Amino acid sequence: MSLLVLGANSLIAQAAASHFAEAGHEIIFGGRKQDEPEKYANDFSIRYKVKCSAEYIDALDYPTHKKFIEDVLAKTPELDYVLIVFGYLGTQEKAQVDFTEAHRIIDTNFTGVVSVCELLAAEFETRKKGNIAVISSVAGDRGRQSNYMYGSAKGGLSVYLSGLRNRLFKSGVNVLTIKPGFVNTPMTYGMPLPKLLVASPEKVGKDIYKAMKKRKSVIYTPFFWWWIMNIITSIPEFIFKKLKL
Amino acid sequence: MKFEEIELSGFGKFPKAMCKVTRPPGIFNLMEILKQSSVIPRGLGRSYGDASLNDTGIVTESILMNRFISFDEETGIVRCEAGVTYKDLLDTFVIRGWFPAVTPGTKYVTMGGAIASDVHGKNHHNVGSFSTFVISFKILIASGEILECSRTENSNLFWATVGGMGLTGFILEAEIQLKKITSPYLTNRSLKLRNMDELFDKLEEFDKDYHYSVAWMDIVASGKKYGRNVLLLGNHEENDTLPDKLKLRSAKKYIEKKISVPFEVPFATLNKLSITLFNSAFYLAAKNKVEHVHYDKYFYPLDFILNWNHIYSKSGLIQYQLNVPEDKGKEAIDKILKKVVSFGGGSFLAVLKKMGNQDGILSFPFKGYTLSMDFPVKKGVIQMCRELDEIVLDYGGRNYLTKDSILDEKTFKQMYSGLWEKWMEIKIKYDPKNKFTSNMARRIGLCPF
Repeated sequence: MSLLVLGANSLIAQAAASHFAEAGHEIIFGGRKQDEPEKYANDFSIRYKVKCSAEYIDALDYPTHKKFIEDVLAKTPELDYVLIVFGYLGTQEKAQVDFTEAHRIIDTNFTGVVSVCELLAAEFETRKKGNIAVISSVAGDRGRQSNYMYGSAKGGLSVYLSGLRNRLFKSGVNVLTIKPGFVNTPMTYGMPLPKLLVASPEKVGKDIYKAMKKRKSVIYTPFFWWWIMNIITSIPEFIFKKLKL
Repeated sequence: MKFEEIELSGFGKFPKAMCKVTRPPGIFNLMEILKQSSVIPRGLGRSYGDASLNDTGIVTESILMNRFISFDEETGIVRCEAGVTYKDLLDTFVIRGWFPAVTPGTKYVTMGGAIASDVHGKNHHNVGSFSTFVISFKILIASGEILECSRTENSNLFWATVGGMGLTGFILEAEIQLKKITSPYLTNRSLKLRNMDELFDKLEEFDKDYHYSVAWMDIVASGKKYGRNVLLLGNHEENDTLPDKLKLRSAKKYIEKKISVPFEVPFATLNKLSITLFNSAFYLAAKNKVEHVHYDKYFYPLDFILNWNHIYSKSGLIQYQLNVPEDKGKEAIDKILKKVVSFGGGSFLAVLKKMGNQDGILSFPFKGYTLSMDFPVKKGVIQMCRELDEIVLDYGGRNYLTKDSILDEKTFKQMYSGLWEKWMEIKIKYDPKNKFTSNMARRIGLCPF
């Protein structure tokens, strides 16, 4: 049994991976060279006494993705689980005036993930098994003026994953869409968030592990975000457009 | 680089200061931080006072730099990044038969913090403090250089950093010797003692037989009951001698249960009545007995209640920990205790233990006795502490910087006379522009200019 993590330096990914490692799974950490995925692999092999390794991947360097997946599969032919946590929050204001920022937000959160997912989907479809879990966001459920660049990329991702899930269902491959709310990570560090709504990466990681093992389709984590987003998405547009969200 | 501007404090919640805090994931970001005017490294903020506050520059948290680098199953030597905590060590290595050779009373302490405070445990009289088991560490100094320090390499920086309150640089990695154990349990022997004479006799008597020893003193009782205490003695238990039920349990990974004090209570829960009741209850509930105790309960009873410092309400608490020389130690402790009792106690119990010598230049421990108390911050408390300072000084003692929030420069320099000058020479050599500084350093004059 093995797990491939894409985005090794994510606290959420590490928390989720720790449960897999404790259950004895081999872990492969994929990440950019500067994020030093090998350090996480080394740490996990000491903490959990499981086989761990690292491979370099840049979400935005699409032509290299095929080789990356081939390398991983050569190393662990029996790859069972993939957790993709690539993401870039960016700055909404900057993205409005500087298209490079908007482009980077869309490409990291959407295009890069699609590129990797398609390669994995092809492999898992032939094998007729496998699990792909991807972190989307509650921000993708409805566009808001404060972060619609990030939100729309994640929204697109959620729709993509829904389609992929539909396609792979008949092959016995599960696709999980993960929609976290606010999480206390370097991505949100320094942001003025309502403390009661901010979850720990450990809590979110545990939810992800459970959902992956139970082969769920879509989860909100922590669960109360399902209620919050239900309310937010049910506000009529003629009211919603006037809100300062 | 992302910053958070928040009102920050140590674990005592006193004093507080607006600080610009950052939480970098790696060395690359630390190099950036060195360009700022000044910085103090911070781990999990378990020092009580203002040692990890810096309101004129940056506070840099090490908690994301928390990876293990290597572990040798044969020798028990672990190398890890500075943000690795005691909890990480325990969760990873107890099941494999290795234990931190020195541990403070909470596992929410990073290795960087443990070195900077040169923390001690209940076995100080036998093995010394944490630095005894620090083989080497890697440190990033103000110039941007990264130096490996040990007893033989850059040894002056090694001894200035151990107990150096984070003022010499960023500790990046450390190599630590763990202690071999065969079970996670300890044999705990409790002795209910009527007064200090009995305590000091028993401390001598059991010195060699028990690896760990600490006494909890009733700090309210006066008259005939004055000085009553419970002496707790402990040794690591061998797996062979454990009852079968515990043998089975110790083979499994330990899962902890916790409760939390979710917010600061809005009023002072610690008043004379509750403190008296607590002190009496502790003594009365204690029994003379020998029992098997799991390490988590034995070493970290307060960790069971997360954020227990919240019971001190918003105004916070002052931890007062002093060490007095062995010679006339009993007399000094007696004077101090009498002063505190006459003030009406004010503390949840006091903890007394025997200490040994230590090599770190600013390391707190030396051969003698240490007494630790906590007082809610309220009228008169600071004045009482100043009076305690006088007694400590009279007996040639000193206070623990990691707990301290009120010493002034003059008193500190008297307490650490001959030591702070030696430390300063090394500080000036490695950090001449005083890049690494804190509110505490400025308060007590641990600055080159």
